[in-house]
Amino acid sequence: MRVRLRFFAALREQMGARAERTVRAGTTVGALWRALVAERPELGATRVRFAVKEAYVEPSYRLADGDEVAVFPPVSGGA
Amino acid sequence: MFRITRAPIVLERLLRAVRDPAAGALVVFLGTTRNQNAGRRVVRLEYEAYGRMAEAEMRRLAARAKRRWPIRRIAMAHRIGLVPVGEASVAIVVSAGHRGEAFTACRWLIDRLKAMVPIWKREHFRGGRVWIGPQAGAPRRLARAARRRGER
Repeated sequence: MRVRLRFFAALREQMGARAERTVRAGTTVGALWRALVAERPELGATRVRFAVKEAYVEPSYRLADGDEVAVFPPVSGGA
Repeated sequence: MFRITRAPIVLERLLRAVRDPAAGALVVFLGTTRNQNAGRRVVRLEYEAYGRMAEAEMRRLAARAKRRWPIRRIAMAHRIGLVPVGEASVAIVVSAGHRGEAFTACRWLIDRLKAMVPIWKREHFRGGRVWIGPQAGAPRRLARAARRRGER
């Protein structure tokens, strides 16, 4: 199945703003991230959080076809 | 009103959004961009957001605040893009029957916003710029300074 990825801030600069991946049914968000880190080991240094459908999800979240996964470095809004 | 905006924050709009005849207190928090951080002079700030989720997350925080305290209304806005030093990057306005819960909720909302809402800050220095938050590539000194201030 296909999933879309979005990256922000420093991660966006490393990965580009958007990407698409084909993954096996039942793949978790955490497994998808580990696959990306395996390809780009420098990503492993970033603490990340994930969101699907505009809400935070745990790494154990199982992806569905067409999901958009947002990968965040630590947030730093405010002043 | 929960808004991510490229334009300067207009406080009057937020005040209008929380006006309520049952409110005896209206507390405003404005976060303004600072001209220095960790001993370096900051010339301007830049913010990036996951816009729709940031607005959704602000709404979720407001709903949680209303469950915890007897709040009347809440408005939140965060600016993105380049923000000159000294201008408001974030505004939170809370109305409540009495000032105690309005102050408490407003303080809680800005703390939770900084921890939860998908917004990122980049500080521009003379000769460089750096994303704030413990990210790969961020100087350790800045990350340590942020932790000392209680930021994430």
